[in-house]
Amino acid sequence: MNTHPYLRAFLAGILVPTLVMPLMLIGFIVLRLWLQVSVPIERGMVFPMALVPALWGIWNVLWIGSHARTHLPIGLHGALLPLLLMPGGAAITSCLGILALGSHDAIWFQTLHIPYALILPMFMVALAAYYLVWKYVVGFLNHTLGIA
Amino acid sequence: MNAHDEERMKQFLKQALPPMGDAEPGHDQWPAMRQRLAARPTAVPWFDWALAGGLAVFALAFPASIPVFLYYL
Repeated sequence: MNTHPYLRAFLAGILVPTLVMPLMLIGFIVLRLWLQVSVPIERGMVFPMALVPALWGIWNVLWIGSHARTHLPIGLHGALLPLLLMPGGAAITSCLGILALGSHDAIWFQTLHIPYALILPMFMVALAAYYLVWKYVVGFLNHTLGIA
Repeated sequence: MNAHDEERMKQFLKQALPPMGDAEPGHDQWPAMRQRLAARPTAVPWFDWALAGGLAVFALAFPASIPVFLYYL
């Protein structure tokens, strides 16, 4: 089954964030409609719900396309994605008014205060999480779909 | 369609469709499939367990970071 490997790679890549999306939608409904939390959640939903799944799919296509030359393990390839996602996401959310930079901490949704000292450890944790998810979940999907 | 036309049609079809050749596999595939199904999954290296444990500890220590992770990741 060697037809359309890039299409299958894209579909394997978008599966994980697509499965997370209903959870985010449930969270949005609970916070906004049930608990009446007055934070601009809907303004920021475009990033996780539209851009992130597409980026995962494209990233997996890139791995399939470049693996013959680079021989980079899929876990390491996936761990590179936060280097693109987190600064990009921070720029978008800052423009949308979801992320505000205070004197001692970054503030998301006018509610979540994260001290600057915690940003770098969070980034490292994101790299580790991506490494594991790409190695075991996306790698499994690629293997199942016959492209890796 | 007379017998001559039928013969010509057979010839045309044979020309249009090349012979399949040896369509059967060279050997029995089932033992290889059984071996693959019975193969034990590869063990998770200790480094990956350590990373997963670190993630869990971080999430427990800083629960406020979980929504931010879910948002960006």
